[in-house]
Amino acid sequence: MGERHLLTGNHAAAYGAKLARAEVVSAYPITPQTMIVELLSEMVATGELEARFITVESEHSAMAACVGASAAGARAYTATSGQGLALMHEMLHWATGARLPIVLSNVSRAMGPGWSIWAEQTDFLSQRDTGWMMLFAESVQEAQDFVIWMYRVAEQVLLPGMVSMDAFILSHTSEPLIVHDQSAVDAYLPPWEPLYTLDPAEPRAYGGLVNRDHYFELRYKAYEAMDRARGLMDEAGREFGEALGSAYGPVEEFMLDDAEYVFVSAGAMTSNVRYAVTQLRERGIKAGLLRLIAFRPFPFEPIREHLAGRTKVAVLDRNMSPGHSGIFASEIRAALAGLPGAPPIFGYVLGIGGRDIRVETVFEVADDLVTRDDPERALYVGVKGLPIGPTRPGTVITPLEPLEGVAP
Amino acid sequence: MRWDLPVEERIYPGTLGCQACGGALSMRLALKALGDDTVVVIPACCWSIVDGPWPVHALKVPVLHTAFETAAVVAAGVKAAKLQQGKDTTVVAWAGDGGTMDIGLQALSGAAERNEDILYACYDNEAYMNTGIQRSSSTPLGTWTTTTPNERPETRPKKNIMEIMAAHRIPYAATCCPAYPDDMIAKFRKAKEMTGTRFLHILSVCPPGWKMDSEQAIEVMRKAVHSRVFPLYEVEGGLDYTINMWPQYETKPEDYFSMQGRFKPLLNDPELLAEVKRQIDKNWNTLVERHVRTHPRFPEASPADR
Amino acid sequence: MSEFKHVDEYPEIPVSTAVSSTILKTGAWRNMRPIKVESRSPCTESCPAAVPIPRYLHELATGDPAAAHATFTLRNPFPRITGRVCPHPCEDACNRTDAPLAIRALERFMGDEARGLPDPTAETETGRRVAVVGSGPAGLAAAYYLRRSGHAVTVFESRPEPGGMLRYGIPEYRLPSTLVDEEIERLTGLGVEFRTRIRLGTDVTIEGLEQDFDAIFAAIGAGMGTALGIEGESLTEPGLEFLERLAEGAAELHGERCAVIGGGNTAMDVARALRRLGATVTVLYRRTEAEMPAIAEEHAAATADGVRFEFLAQPRSVAKVPAGLSVSVETMRLGDPDDSGRPRPEPTGEMRSLTFDVVFTAVGERAEVDLLPPDLRGDDGWPAVGPHGETPNERIFVGGDLATGPATVVDAIAWGRRAVDAINARIGGGYEIPLWMLEERAEVIGPTGVNRATFAPLPRVETPEMSPEDRLAAGFTEETATIVAAAALAEIERCFSCGYCNSCGTCFVFCPDAAITWDDGPIFDFDYCKGCGVCTSECPGHVLLFVKEKAYG
Repeated sequence: MGERHLLTGNHAAAYGAKLARAEVVSAYPITPQTMIVELLSEMVATGELEARFITVESEHSAMAACVGASAAGARAYTATSGQGLALMHEMLHWATGARLPIVLSNVSRAMGPGWSIWAEQTDFLSQRDTGWMMLFAESVQEAQDFVIWMYRVAEQVLLPGMVSMDAFILSHTSEPLIVHDQSAVDAYLPPWEPLYTLDPAEPRAYGGLVNRDHYFELRYKAYEAMDRARGLMDEAGREFGEALGSAYGPVEEFMLDDAEYVFVSAGAMTSNVRYAVTQLRERGIKAGLLRLIAFRPFPFEPIREHLAGRTKVAVLDRNMSPGHSGIFASEIRAALAGLPGAPPIFGYVLGIGGRDIRVETVFEVADDLVTRDDPERALYVGVKGLPIGPTRPGTVITPLEPLEGVAP
Repeated sequence: MRWDLPVEERIYPGTLGCQACGGALSMRLALKALGDDTVVVIPACCWSIVDGPWPVHALKVPVLHTAFETAAVVAAGVKAAKLQQGKDTTVVAWAGDGGTMDIGLQALSGAAERNEDILYACYDNEAYMNTGIQRSSSTPLGTWTTTTPNERPETRPKKNIMEIMAAHRIPYAATCCPAYPDDMIAKFRKAKEMTGTRFLHILSVCPPGWKMDSEQAIEVMRKAVHSRVFPLYEVEGGLDYTINMWPQYETKPEDYFSMQGRFKPLLNDPELLAEVKRQIDKNWNTLVERHVRTHPRFPEASPADR
Repeated sequence: MSEFKHVDEYPEIPVSTAVSSTILKTGAWRNMRPIKVESRSPCTESCPAAVPIPRYLHELATGDPAAAHATFTLRNPFPRITGRVCPHPCEDACNRTDAPLAIRALERFMGDEARGLPDPTAETETGRRVAVVGSGPAGLAAAYYLRRSGHAVTVFESRPEPGGMLRYGIPEYRLPSTLVDEEIERLTGLGVEFRTRIRLGTDVTIEGLEQDFDAIFAAIGAGMGTALGIEGESLTEPGLEFLERLAEGAAELHGERCAVIGGGNTAMDVARALRRLGATVTVLYRRTEAEMPAIAEEHAAATADGVRFEFLAQPRSVAKVPAGLSVSVETMRLGDPDDSGRPRPEPTGEMRSLTFDVVFTAVGERAEVDLLPPDLRGDDGWPAVGPHGETPNERIFVGGDLATGPATVVDAIAWGRRAVDAINARIGGGYEIPLWMLEERAEVIGPTGVNRATFAPLPRVETPEMSPEDRLAAGFTEETATIVAAAALAEIERCFSCGYCNSCGTCFVFCPDAAITWDDGPIFDFDYCKGCGVCTSECPGHVLLFVKEKAYG
């Protein structure tokens, strides 16, 4: 049944890697991820986790070491955040092309400049097209469990996967955590049986030059694997519940049955949204919540099923794709395109750079949602001096004022 | 056979190396020394091509291809997995000069500082040859490349990667060259038997990039050694220097330069040439000093050599 | 690779699936290719017997002295003899310019290693009979090849024992008579009949032999000393006669202070033998050290033995005086070159007297040409001889010193073999010549033709020899030894093997494309050879040439 602890999201992620019996851990410290690697270092040093810990000199190398280890048949794990994930970008593609089931926990943080260590999901979502499976954890428990769940699917489809956990809000917040029995996890997640392990008895070239005649087919296999992962993820999530207590799926619905106004959210802010939805119900607004858990593979069917026929949908994006919209909003609009009864999608961009998304913030969004007629591509929430709304037309560049106290 | 060299090959014919590719020859010789229980990690470099297009593979050992800047650390990852699996496979990172001294230097430095149990071989042809002869930090002073044209040839001396590696105090760093197969194979064998980060710096001829006839490929490397442009030596523990080949022939740097079209701007500039030769002398003298310091009672250098 | 028609034929992960890169026939890139062309080596070229030196050295190095011996004896039956006494022009011609390969020492080693191995014999007897007159090196070599050719051979020798100059001219310390005995026994074993104490002109005549034999090979040598033509010459003693008595064990020293007039090998032999009998020896030579015809080693050994040299010293007369023999010597100076190319000694008029107990002359030898029928002699009185010893009489052949005047043992051996070729052409028979020996060969490889880059400047192996003190104390015991096997192998490694592929492996080692496979020698795989030419430029002996592909397209 496991033991109950009070732990932070970071420590939960480390326990996830430990319970998954990661064999090679390679990581570089970055705030706010550091506690993950500190705890894993300790576990490896004490022998609690039988693994090799490589204290690399950069995140790029962290992922590269995982690529090497995974190619040689070891279960490889790393954790990073923001700038670090961006630095890994090239190797994220490499891991996919090489079909290596590496799992990564990303403590999602805003990108510099200005330097910001606070919560935002743009770093994570910028990896959208790397071919990694992507999950958003909301709780400390999920920070642990999703690592295990992800390995289970990853090793079935030979694709890597990453789990987002919001900076501080989840990474540094302590919550009750059930650390599962190792034997139960072992039963759920058997040792990986790789297709190839760089065995000198079978000397093959791995990931070499491919000309135009063959590249597409080899990549098509990865595309197909990602689509196959959709069903396997559902199945593995259900089995997680049977084996370890809580079942997971690609989305979570909350008060959706008769909801007219649906909020879509992902990650730790969902807790506040969920509470706000209950409050809105008390105010007489038929609100509901659809939480996105899986972002890749994208859960088209549940989204279409749950959003069709609603009056209005507010997508809460703690991220931004400049020149377009919040990333979830655009993805969901695309998912609903051509669907009979598709609701208008109102894309709200908020919480950028770790700005709080309070219950009150959700109320403000709800008020705007109910009254606004035309969905804009992106509606910015909480920019100082501006009401909720789109960017201003004809924005001028503010000239620099002379520095105070400096002689001209 | 006059050579004490294993006849068994761990490379197939049909590689895509250019005519007289020093990198291909170096790999062939290195694998003779390294044996079957070897994994080779290859970042972006000529060898990404030389190994052949999918579904082909030119070596009789596994190769893991990887991104340009990652050879050392991917090798470290492979080694970690192998150790975790209870195997002591020799893991070799096999990179060019760009992948070693430029884009891959950070990962190499990290691996060396951590003393990862890998054998890192840099086959150095002194420019980005695979992309069409662009300068790298390994390109020597006064050299023509497509990004250091004759009007403004390379302005800086070649990066001294051996000193960088020695500064990491790794167990073993050595220069070698396929023109001296005995020395090269001995060094790969020695390195294979050691643990920790071992670095082998191979001068590797590139006839198309060096603008020379392919049949002179071995001779030009020999001249590099004998003119002291590329001395053969080893550094143990980062501090103990041993010169392995004391130049025996009266070979001048010009003899080496004049075999190659890429040194045309250098040969046309007497002042620059004099400066390059001063640097060659200084580097050599420094090396000899270190050798003598390491071997105070048995310096192999005769006074004439110094 | 176009066999992939469906995505399901691809592996799930991007790993190679073909066995190897050998499906890429990179030989198609080639526009030049290496070819193996053997050329003549300077050692073989300069050897009077034309011994295929690089080839037999290679066979020796591979641990097959029998093969080496078989190759060697195609040209010279007596490596144990020439391995000891040959002036080795091969070494002078050697492309190993740092220090020539010790070919003579290797030849001796090979001969000693192969001692006792059977020689090839003729498959069928021709029924022809050939007489060989004279049992010096020319006669013995001829006898050997005549037997290999299937002829019945009778050798006539005037002295009590066969061997000629080998036995009676070369002192024991250089060439032990037991070794000559063994070589004679070898020939006897092959069926050669020796008839000794038969003197041409006295006991038999050429005309007489013609009745009994199908062919006659006359090689009676040049065993007569040349006269100085000076006053008091009768007081001197011919050096050759002294050496002959020495060989018979009948030499006595008639006085302690000896002079030897001459600068050739006979002079050295006499001088050094005298030192072993306890004499003090002075060599008087009319030119300088540089012009001495003696083998350099013998000159050096004589000096080490304590022989004194007086150069530019021309004896003008010998007179008996109370203290012994007074030799009047004129000091010479060097002038313009004479017919031999050496500077002519010219008189200075400066005279001095030197006193000795015994004076030996060794200023050249001549043949007893009078013993030949007059119709075989030319206008100058010497035999009229073709390049293979042919004479105007089609059944009579002449060779060795009798044909050329005094020359070397190896020259005589070469004559013997060449004469046999000519005899066979006349009377039939022959011995098997391997195909490789008959192939045309390209030009002689000179010092710039070889690639010495992969050869360290190692010192050459020297023949072990006793110190001067020891060898003088040891009397006539052989003063040198055969090099040991390890030294021989090390020395062979110094050989560039000019013009001959000795499977050194350099082409294999440096092939960047693994397009040369190795099976005791290189096998070129032209499916993959890209034609880079590395093997051709690295080949030490210039055996691999780089040629345009078109010629082979």
